[in-house]
Amino acid sequence: MATDHQHHDHEMDGPGYTTPQAAIEESTPEQVAYVIGLYTGSDVDAPDFIAVVDLDPDSDTYQEIVHRVEMPNRGDELHHFGWNACSSSCHVEGLARQHLVIPGNRSGRIHVVDTADRRNPELLTVIEPEEVHEYDLSGPHTVHCIPDGKILISMTGNADGDLPGGFLELNDEFEIERRWDAPGEIEFNYDFWYQPRHDVMISSEWAAPRTYQPGFDMEDVEAGEYGHRLHFWNWTDRTVEQTVELGEEGLVPLETRFLHSPESVHGYVNAALSSNIFHFWEEDDEYQVEKVIDFESGEHADWDMPVPALPVDILVSMDDRYLFGSNWLQGEVWMYDISDPKTLRKADSISIGGYFGDIREVQGRELVAGPQMLQLSLDGERLYWTTSLYSTWDDQFFPEERERGSVMLKADVNPRKGTMTLDEEFLVDFGELPAGPARAHEIRWPDGDCTSDVWL
Amino acid sequence: MAPTPTLTLLWRDGSEEAVRASGESTVLEAAESAAIGLPFGCRTGACGTCAGRSVEGTVQYNRPPRALKTRHSEAGYLLCCIARPLTDCQIEVGADVRAEMVSNPWK
Ligand code: FES
Repeated sequence: MATDHQHHDHEMDGPGYTTPQAAIEESTPEQVAYVIGLYTGSDVDAPDFIAVVDLDPDSDTYQEIVHRVEMPNRGDELHHFGWNACSSSCHVEGLARQHLVIPGNRSGRIHVVDTADRRNPELLTVIEPEEVHEYDLSGPHTVHCIPDGKILISMTGNADGDLPGGFLELNDEFEIERRWDAPGEIEFNYDFWYQPRHDVMISSEWAAPRTYQPGFDMEDVEAGEYGHRLHFWNWTDRTVEQTVELGEEGLVPLETRFLHSPESVHGYVNAALSSNIFHFWEEDDEYQVEKVIDFESGEHADWDMPVPALPVDILVSMDDRYLFGSNWLQGEVWMYDISDPKTLRKADSISIGGYFGDIREVQGRELVAGPQMLQLSLDGERLYWTTSLYSTWDDQFFPEERERGSVMLKADVNPRKGTMTLDEEFLVDFGELPAGPARAHEIRWPDGDCTSDVWL
Repeated sequence: MAPTPTLTLLWRDGSEEAVRASGESTVLEAAESAAIGLPFGCRTGACGTCAGRSVEGTVQYNRPPRALKTRHSEAGYLLCCIARPLTDCQIEVGADVRAEMVSNPWK
């Protein structure tokens, strides 16, 4: 069932869709979501898991967690995850978008889950931390499949949880193939995205695991322990060709999102700590970077300092028309029109949760944190989000999240009008699970999504 | 030095458990062999998830506790994943202990 390719009316036989437009037109609405569920960092003595959330409005179990794949160990802090194959392998016969590669950011353990049965996925194999440490790497973060069945994972630290980070490459049998980069090309690492037609990869910077994992400390920012650069790589040579210093305005650049069109040389990155969004693009063989959104801090009676927006996630709609994002502390989900990628126009926003949100509860469930990881349907009409950032950071900024668990929420998007409306009927409560309240993080669709698919 | 120190684990809710810690085991391992689940993450001293706080006793590290800053060590915090009890110890444990180690810097 999961390996059916209803969309394959072209001559290729690999996974995914031939173009972003095909993904929009040929995809069916998402029926299930895979969502990271977390117990790491709490007193609940249970492993992290992948929740299978029923998103079929006609199903009896709509909005319920219908299945959980528990990891074999506790303490992983599952964080970001990805597919073994995406549209960049559309030409590879016999390959299917069937396996989720799910690293534990704290443990360094890498799990592979088989989703052949979409509603009942199963753990297939595990790469243990010691195997990862042999490559002098730890803190696995972003997983992207790269062409030909290989998988690339950004790693935030070395085996000791210190700098430098790097990249680990897995082969199509989920074994470590090699360290992808030459150590020393970069110090800090976080997220990355590649645009093979332009032979470019961009990577961003968080901090060393020993810095960000215990929690956020202003002393570390002052000591220069947090990143503020972007790296543009030669994809074939696996070397950094250009590093852009973002300075004070670009502290902690996180998610890197190229537009989906393989022709495009434009993209965006969110500098979370500086509350800015940057646009990057190639011009005269060089990447240019410019601040395009600057979110203001807000005064709050309980805070000594103004509350920064903390834009922690961004994503680009499959038609490259809108940029969506979440301001975790302030409690806002926003949508900008990027038809002209250099001149952004605010389309709409929803004010919910966080420190300032207008909407404080959904279906009677109090919201104890702001919007965090986002995922958009391929047709651009349904936006979903969860509320946990990272267990130790949640404890600092939204301590109730540990006691109450996260929620998953949804907005209906009208891409023609550029509007969003909160679906007040929709709520998935991760606070109501048998072992105890869980946090929820990244969201993925079985047929690919707006934060994982790349085209050759 | 006691060959098998007694390790008393204290939770913020007032509960406590005493376990034996052989010279070789870390606080986390000693708890686990008594079927007590304490929070942890990396198990290498880098992430701070396992932070506890010493009330009494002495522990020893075989590798640097990278997740602790000087001010944390001075305040008695220790990393249960790599700390080995040298003497009888009383250690506050649980997610609350770690949470108070780093607070909201803007508030
Ligand atoms: S579990 Fe990471 S420091 Fe102890």
